[in-house]
Amino acid sequence: MALERWGHPLLICVLIAGSTSAAISQQDPLAGLPRQAATKTQAVEYLYPEQVSVPAGKPAPVTLHFRIQQNLHINSHTPRAEYLIPTVFSVPETSGVKLANAVYPAGTDFTLPADPDQKLSVYTGEFAIQARLISSPGNHLVEAKLRYQACDQTQCLPPKTITVPIDVIGK
Amino acid sequence: MALRLRLSVTAHISVTNAPVRRSYNREERSEPPVKRNTIVIGITFLILATFAWAGWANWMYRKQAAERALASASHAELIPTAPGDVPAGGTSLTGKPAPNFTLEDLSGNKVSLSSYKGKPLLINFWATWCGPCKIETPWLVDLQKEYGPKGLQIIGISTEGDDLKPDDKEGWAHDKAAIAKFVKEEHMQYPVLVNGDSLATEYGGLDAMPTSVYVDKDGKVVAMQLGISSKDDMEAHIRKAMGEGQ
Repeated sequence: MALERWGHPLLICVLIAGSTSAAISQQDPLAGLPRQAATKTQAVEYLYPEQVSVPAGKPAPVTLHFRIQQNLHINSHTPRAEYLIPTVFSVPETSGVKLANAVYPAGTDFTLPADPDQKLSVYTGEFAIQARLISSPGNHLVEAKLRYQACDQTQCLPPKTITVPIDVIGK
Repeated sequence: MALRLRLSVTAHISVTNAPVRRSYNREERSEPPVKRNTIVIGITFLILATFAWAGWANWMYRKQAAERALASASHAELIPTAPGDVPAGGTSLTGKPAPNFTLEDLSGNKVSLSSYKGKPLLINFWATWCGPCKIETPWLVDLQKEYGPKGLQIIGISTEGDDLKPDDKEGWAHDKAAIAKFVKEEHMQYPVLVNGDSLATEYGGLDAMPTSVYVDKDGKVVAMQLGISSKDDMEAHIRKAMGEGQ
């Protein structure tokens, strides 16, 4: 009796849930992400997080993950030579979110084949920056920036500044 | 015997079914409707949650797979080109006349390529932030000393890649100060011009530094080299531009 009474609504719910689930899973996973042109100058890619919730008005740690394209390296935050451009993360002052400070990973040693005696301090592969953000209450779509300069073993790309989009929710 | 057994089983079923149905009905009648509704709603929510989780998990999996595919598609490997090869993303100039240009030196004097007509040239595009450029500059200084008396002229063109606008006085002043410092530190005795970025289209893109263009005395590009190789390679290209060793 219960199945007769509840079977049809239950079946309808299951069908709705199934179709919703299928619709979610069929959506383009990158539909909401900025499309980056597949150019040879796209050396660094921001990975995540896309959204963070932090307590409003006090510094909150946020770990930002990046990926450097294969066979490329970028200077660390503390390159060993003055003329090299360091990797720097920044947050625009008008975004409602302030960057209290950022802790960068230590660079790894790297030598160019043309000059094995000179050690460079670089990042390769994936790396993370520990940022401490101070958010005002509310939802802020922050367009933070990462400036870097990339090279491979024989040549260098011009310095570049990419946008790091983060939805910061101050509670 | 078989018939009797079948009848027996039927009888048993008919006998056992009736009490069970009655018992079930008794339970149904005795169970409060609110409790039953709660159970059904609970099951429904459980199913909904399961589907939602499955959909989310599938979406996350596909998102990660798509990100990996995107990263793979935007692979940014810089492929060192052999001398004379087509620059990645650019146009090979080898065998063609070197495009003419007029740029300023650090003192603001205008210098044209045409003013070096009849000379074998090495046009070296470099940048102050470029490690390989820093390595090869002493080689260039040595090569200018060695081959300058034989007619070679090396021209350094700073290509900072910062897309400064013509009216950005502060930006240009900053660039020129950094270039002047580099020139002084590296004892660059050959002409150094600024704003190589303005020649990107004519000179095959200039996507990466250093880029060296070797021009013979007739103004024809005999070799183009992206990235640093070795002093010996540069010397071989210079000799080719000078018409030696062919």
